[in-house]
Amino acid sequence: MDEKKTTPLLDELEAGEWPSFVTQLKQAAKKSKMAAGLVQQLEASYEEKIGHWKHGGIVGVKGYGGGVVGRYSDDPERFPDCREFHTLRVNQVAGFFYSTKKLRELADVWDKYGTGLYNLHGSTGDIILLGTDTQNVQPCFDALSEIGFDLGGSGGALRTPSCCVGMARCEKACIDSMDINHNLTLHYQNEMHRPAWPYKFKIKISACPNDCAASTARSDLAIVGLWRDTIEIDQDAVREYVANGFKLEENVLRRCPTWALDWDAENKELKVKAEDCTHCMHCINAMPKAIRIGKERGAAIMIGGKAPVVKGANIGWVLVPFMKMEAPYTELKEIIDRVTDYWAEHGKNRERVGELIDRVGYATFLKAIGLEPVPQMVTAPRANPYIFWSAEEVEKRG
Amino acid sequence: MNYIEVNGVKIELDEDGFIVEPDLWSEDLVKAFAKTEGVEELTEDHWKVINYLRDYFKQFGIAPMIRKLCKDTGFSLKEIYDLFPSGPAKGACKLAGLPKPTGCV
Amino acid sequence: MARTDFGPPDYREMLPPIVAENYGKWLYHEIPQPGVIKHVSETGAVLYSVRMASPRLVNSDWVREICDIAEKYCGGYLRFTTRHNVEFLVSDPSQLQPLLDELKARGHMIGGAGHAISNVVHTQGWVHCKSAVTDASGLVKSVMDELHPYFSGKIKIPARLRIAVACCVNMCGACHCSDIAIVGIHRTVPRINDELVAKTCEIPTTVASCPTGAIRPNPKLKSIEINAEKCMMCGNCTVVCPALKIMDPENDGVSIWVGGKVSNARTAPMFSRLAVPFIKNNPPRWPEVTDTVKHLVEVWAKDAKYGERMGEWIERIGWERFFKLTGLPFTEKHIDSFTHATQTFRSTTQFRF
Repeated sequence: MDEKKTTPLLDELEAGEWPSFVTQLKQAAKKSKMAAGLVQQLEASYEEKIGHWKHGGIVGVKGYGGGVVGRYSDDPERFPDCREFHTLRVNQVAGFFYSTKKLRELADVWDKYGTGLYNLHGSTGDIILLGTDTQNVQPCFDALSEIGFDLGGSGGALRTPSCCVGMARCEKACIDSMDINHNLTLHYQNEMHRPAWPYKFKIKISACPNDCAASTARSDLAIVGLWRDTIEIDQDAVREYVANGFKLEENVLRRCPTWALDWDAENKELKVKAEDCTHCMHCINAMPKAIRIGKERGAAIMIGGKAPVVKGANIGWVLVPFMKMEAPYTELKEIIDRVTDYWAEHGKNRERVGELIDRVGYATFLKAIGLEPVPQMVTAPRANPYIFWSAEEVEKRG
Repeated sequence: MNYIEVNGVKIELDEDGFIVEPDLWSEDLVKAFAKTEGVEELTEDHWKVINYLRDYFKQFGIAPMIRKLCKDTGFSLKEIYDLFPSGPAKGACKLAGLPKPTGCV
Repeated sequence: MARTDFGPPDYREMLPPIVAENYGKWLYHEIPQPGVIKHVSETGAVLYSVRMASPRLVNSDWVREICDIAEKYCGGYLRFTTRHNVEFLVSDPSQLQPLLDELKARGHMIGGAGHAISNVVHTQGWVHCKSAVTDASGLVKSVMDELHPYFSGKIKIPARLRIAVACCVNMCGACHCSDIAIVGIHRTVPRINDELVAKTCEIPTTVASCPTGAIRPNPKLKSIEINAEKCMMCGNCTVVCPALKIMDPENDGVSIWVGGKVSNARTAPMFSRLAVPFIKNNPPRWPEVTDTVKHLVEVWAKDAKYGERMGEWIERIGWERFFKLTGLPFTEKHIDSFTHATQTFRSTTQFRF
């Protein structure tokens, strides 16, 4: 062992009630020299208020163009133990369910080939294995594949789709988000592992408009479950809420954005104007025992969601207001293929699909992928008179 | 520092094995790189891709997008990976002596 | 060669029997105590999910510990939430209290369900990101050490509140749509290493990477130059060209954003908006940041109605009152100057004085 190195700044983050990542790092550092190197470099970052990772590296496994993020210390002489500190992105199980057997197998592999440090999970959804060196990347992947774990995406490629818990444990699930997630992940392995697109592309699936997977904000193509008939009301259960002192008027009726709910006090009946309901979920969230999603279920497809880099953040736009979602999801895949083909053909380097739509116009984009415009796609029609007309739409002159 | 030896001359490489001085690229270097990137034998098809990448970079100052590479060389993405198992960015660009691709992670 | 393109393990093999049997059959849920969610199925089955705080950055010992617990109480299955909590799924009600007792004895925190602050979605920070302006894990730890009573249910709040931390303006991690977001920002223009640009960068790509057109080629040096007046410090050029350096420990820091959400409940999803443009990086505890975030939570919790998210509350009371109630200064930095700026300029005389 070298001279005892101290980490006074990181030590302060071991105190307090919330679970400490520093404690996790230090435990790993007892077993892994590379993890110990990370602790030293991180302490230096805290002291100097600057990161110590070099500009992105390029490391990989045979047959794939992504899935491993190469990482090198910017000061390998000072931090020799973490001079190489690569990340493997690993496909998570849909809905983040695991048997302990599978997790233990994963831990054994990662202890053997890396630091034994993880993000569970990364913010995109993958299992993130943090810290291994170049020579261990391929053997680690080989061992992962033995236990049934494959790599996720990086670079100009699809990221591992992610989803909410859906039907596995939620009464609001309008679609089978986990099955769609698993099906798409398997179907698009090539698009994930061999980058050939202008930039990243994310797909996320939420089984209802509460959007627990943050799909509309965080994915280029979001699938959000919803129903298009009316909500189901269990009147006895409503009466029970009311009898128990639930503030129906204040917490539900007045919070309904379209005033679609009325309480018939005389007959003690909650009435809904189905055509006014926007499926916003508020009443269902507030009274889960009494109000349920409708029966005619499917999903909306939203397009173009992304964080700010580079031309500003988008919350996804409606591409399809309603689509049935039944395995093997052929219609959905056709839409995804048309969108990604058009984007791959017309997108500039590092241009997300939302930015491409902003550049070429939504009407052009819709025409290119063969979708008819519908009012649900806009918050309001155009307010300016600068309309594009094609030659076929006007009378020929002269 | 990393080096690769070509005809008795040591050529400096960065940590990912890309050449640091683009001017030191040579056909013999490609042969040396081929071994490290899992290319067993350099064929005419390999050279077609390498020369395309070099020509494109000379003309435009950038590496082509991968879709363009496939279209212009006539190879499918799968064929590119068959030729260069570590892929077009890590494999083909390295052999062609292009700057290290900096695509998004 | 290893086999390729086989994808993740099949979720159907990872489900506890009670979940497999009641898949798509759940009727309703309730939250009998903080951090415990009770789901009832149309088959009559009852499932208790116990939600546990995770540091997200974890080691193999921790993984094996939660496996031990899941094997003892949950038949050898567990799951994670989209916000990185761990969930123990209990099908035998007699196991619930023993599980809770053991988690408490082991020092784990339970909470994050319903109207509460859940775990923080965040990025890598100095731990593993090349473009980190700050340390996400340290910020999360510092903030949640202050806010954990809102996670564990000791302090009740009117609605759920989602916090995210991003270590740079890329805002990986839903910062652009969170109730409160902490985002690392730069304040100085990238510095150019001309010699390195000539060797390692694609000049056209670097020029094209700039969203404000602030970069142009410098043919004499085979490099580029940056018009400082047009540069908004987004860092995009530094991603495509390693010879440009934007890190500046003296001037880098964090900003705080409020009022975003992703849910469609009641109102449409909303963007987070700037509340505090800059706070100096002050590791290891970032006290100025934690104080501000705690203050924002307290002001909102005191004034908001049942079920009203931060953004909905601000929409109701108006931004002028938000700045008044929070005591935060409104400055020129708060007025948007980028692509969709004019959409945020007000065109009505409806004010709250």
